[in-house]
Amino acid sequence: MPARSGTLARAVTGWAFALPFAALFLVFTAGPVVASLAMSVTDIRSADLLDPLGVNVVAFDNYARLFADPKFVQAAVNTAVFVVVGVPLTMALALLVALGLNSGLVRFRTLFRVGYYLPVVTSIVAISVVWRFLLQPDSGLFNELLGLVGIDGPSWLDDRPFALPTLIVMAAWRNLGFAMVIFLAGLQAIPKDLYEAATIDGARTLARLRYLTVPMLRPTMLFVAVITTIGYVQFFEEPFVMTQGGPLDSTLSLAYHTYNQFGFGNYGYASAMGYVLFVVVVLLSIAWFRLLRNTHEQ
Amino acid sequence: MKRTVLLVALTVVTLVASACGRGDETGGGAREGTEVESGKASGEITVWAMGTEGEKLSVLAEDFMEENPDATVTVTPVPWDGAHSKLATAIAGRQTPDVTMLGTTWVGEFAKTGALDVVPPDLVAEDDFFPGAWETGVVDGTSYSVPWYVETRLLFVNKAVAEKAGVTEPPTTWDGLKQAVRDLRERGGARWGTYLQPGQMGAWQTFMPFVWQNGGEIHDGERFRLDSPEVAEAVAYYQSFYDEGLSTRNRLREGEAEPKFISGEIASFVSGPWHIGLLDELGGKGEYEVWPMPSGSGEYTSFIGGSNLSVFENAKNRDGAWKFVSYLTRPEVQVKWYQTVNDLPSVAAAWDDPVLAGDPLLATFGDQLGVAKAPPPIPTWEQIAAGVDTELEKVAKGTTSPEDAAKAMQAHATSIGTGG
Repeated sequence: MPARSGTLARAVTGWAFALPFAALFLVFTAGPVVASLAMSVTDIRSADLLDPLGVNVVAFDNYARLFADPKFVQAAVNTAVFVVVGVPLTMALALLVALGLNSGLVRFRTLFRVGYYLPVVTSIVAISVVWRFLLQPDSGLFNELLGLVGIDGPSWLDDRPFALPTLIVMAAWRNLGFAMVIFLAGLQAIPKDLYEAATIDGARTLARLRYLTVPMLRPTMLFVAVITTIGYVQFFEEPFVMTQGGPLDSTLSLAYHTYNQFGFGNYGYASAMGYVLFVVVVLLSIAWFRLLRNTHEQ
Repeated sequence: MKRTVLLVALTVVTLVASACGRGDETGGGAREGTEVESGKASGEITVWAMGTEGEKLSVLAEDFMEENPDATVTVTPVPWDGAHSKLATAIAGRQTPDVTMLGTTWVGEFAKTGALDVVPPDLVAEDDFFPGAWETGVVDGTSYSVPWYVETRLLFVNKAVAEKAGVTEPPTTWDGLKQAVRDLRERGGARWGTYLQPGQMGAWQTFMPFVWQNGGEIHDGERFRLDSPEVAEAVAYYQSFYDEGLSTRNRLREGEAEPKFISGEIASFVSGPWHIGLLDELGGKGEYEVWPMPSGSGEYTSFIGGSNLSVFENAKNRDGAWKFVSYLTRPEVQVKWYQTVNDLPSVAAAWDDPVLAGDPLLATFGDQLGVAKAPPPIPTWEQIAAGVDTELEKVAKGTTSPEDAAKAMQAHATSIGTGG
């Protein structure tokens, strides 16, 4: 008997501690997630606000319509380009900076660290104002510099071939600080004696990087890759403040398109889009885990 | 444990799904509002208003409370950014205020939810308002909101450039406008003769007046008419400004146009009355004039916008709410409102007041308001307009022909429907 009541008391205590989180999670996270899944199989619109159950179940119609929507397809392509180019670019730059800062070659290391991290904590609105100045077609810094070498720079945000690449570069600059900090931590966790051993074995700088640093950084890289990919698939802020999806939808992203559809009151359709995005995030995360899985487990 | 959870979830989903389904559409036919009792207002009246209006409305609310000592008006300012979703949430949660300000293009959407009260027949007289403004509150023949303040779009023209170019009279026809803009550029020395918004959000507000000026329309009550020759001609006219180098194909960011206009780089642009304040603040006072819109083969019309006032059906103080709305549309109160926040009166009689009639810039706006038009109050309008904006961007960039653009606008609008 005493044993059993002890178990019960422990269970009660456990649940009591878990309750605040569980309740908040159920009401504010799980609830809306389930509700929007339900919405995505109905034709609910903003006109149904007063009577949300008075809608028709349309099964997978919304999902079928998505792939026939040229804007959705365009947004999907834009998002794919953004992720495929943006994630490796951000990671490569972040790793480069982290290696530089870690090598001890640089004085004022803290200053640089703060400098690279600053964009991460700066409001995107402030960033967009500054970047717009830099990107001005007539008087911006970029085109002035290009003018010095005799190149007539384009109107970065208004010319179709340049708008998305410009946003990719801007996103890489903005997010590289976060990845850099994680990489730095990862680099400092690599035991020094490994490098000593490698040096004694005659490994040069490049070989040490290729056969020692990169393999040892695998778990860190996995983490950075997953976080960056999840962030980039939901790419929204940059086009929202810089281009409003233009020119000619060339910077419209999936998240932005979803946002617009919610704004138009197409709740069912927008929910379906949100779920497609969700599935893509899950699949990409799984892919990263497979790709960068620890070699020992293979 | 897991299985039980799954079972419960499945049951809930099935139950909810079986409860779904649209009832028979009760609709068709105009509805009549119920009358408001006479006498002074009493009790608490809650009001939501956006932007500057929300911040300053308490000025009028205090006057109202002096006149109706038993009533208390509580104004909640709502930022424009979150206003639409806040209203939608309030309707869904049945936690609405008594009165709200509504953007003119939102009325159709919110009226369809059934949350708005019908305007009482004895409260305000339709004839007192600008006709274009009144129509923004009428959905399927039923009036759901009362125009509060209005705005319309005119051509702002840099005086110095116009003088240099020898353009002294506002043009009255399409050809005249084109020639005037050409002169502003070639003889006036401006880099751009005008600025027509090249697509993206809200460009339809600059473009649609050209359709109306050409005798075209958006929806004829039966179907969309965006593929009509009138629309295609309007698109071709709009496009010609880009093709002839009279307007930039690139969109100007917020705050970019004004300094360029004052310096004479851009000789003219289409905008509303708020630009009077913006330009004066930048030191452009007296440096510009406004021209009414020209007419194509139809009338000389422009876009009318602004905001309306609506009362919610489940308002706790419905009669008090409507009395407050009626108070806000009195001519003398509308003039005071103009003096407080520069909002133009929706009631024509207010324009006879010397405060407004004495200002030549405003008088031009007043004349234009009498013949300005609004898009039909259909719930899906914002989405249809976004399709128009997309096509206008292609038109400006020269990647589509006027006929194709008109066809695409029509196809997009038809695929969305009127949401009814």
